[in-house]
Amino acid sequence: MRRRQRRGDDEAQINITPMLDIVFIMLIFFIVTTSFVKEFGVDVNRPSSAPIEEQRQSEVIAVRIDQNDQIFIEERLIDVRAVRANIESGLAVQPEATVVVIADRLADAGLLVRVVDQARVAGAMQVSLAAAR
Amino acid sequence: MTVQRQREEDEIEINITPMLDIVFIMLIFFIVTTSFVKEPGISPQRPSAETAVEKTRGNVLIAISQTDQIWMDKRSVELNQVRALVEAALAENPESSAVIIADSQANSGILIDLMDQIRLGGIGNISIAAEPSG
Repeated sequence: MRRRQRRGDDEAQINITPMLDIVFIMLIFFIVTTSFVKEFGVDVNRPSSAPIEEQRQSEVIAVRIDQNDQIFIEERLIDVRAVRANIESGLAVQPEATVVVIADRLADAGLLVRVVDQARVAGAMQVSLAAAR
Repeated sequence: MTVQRQREEDEIEINITPMLDIVFIMLIFFIVTTSFVKEPGISPQRPSAETAVEKTRGNVLIAISQTDQIWMDKRSVELNQVRALVEAALAENPESSAVIIADSQANSGILIDLMDQIRLGGIGNISIAAEPSG
């Protein structure tokens, strides 16, 4: 085939210009639409339908936040900075325990995230959220 | 080469093959990395957290403003619309994961309701946005 074409003095070439146009337009489209969103976050579990009573009470460390943003562990009022130490001592007794943060509906979301974060720092594998009824 | 020699007298051709290689590689890179993130439209005051990790694949961003309004895809939505919107986002990209950007002054009740709605919509991978500290 090649030999015959050369003899014919003009070679059959595929015109790649339209393909290049399309490729460049696609390239520009993807460059413009790409947005590298970097969002930092903490993972939380939300027990959807299973109430806390189903889990054995001994395996749960419950942290309660009331509507005045006060934090209670085992009915003791504690400061947010003491949450970590309290959960650490709880986990030392029950290493498999799940931490459940029960927040009042009117409590601040920021405080909720701080408590979840402190529970994570204390070493809790599972941190769940629940809403106080 | 044979082509160039034959046409040497008429015109000089630039070899565009390496440029094409680079352009195609860039194209493939951008196609692969594009994830079409739906921006919520507001940027609330995020709480800070020490255990915050980077969420690269979170592409459904839902924000809660200081006044407990839910923002998604650049508009304010009601809580009962969230489920349908999450289902639509999941249909577009089955590997979606959700990030809730809650203002630290927002009520935690709305945050927990929102998590429930997202989970009902079918996204199980939910995280709460936080500012990394320390």
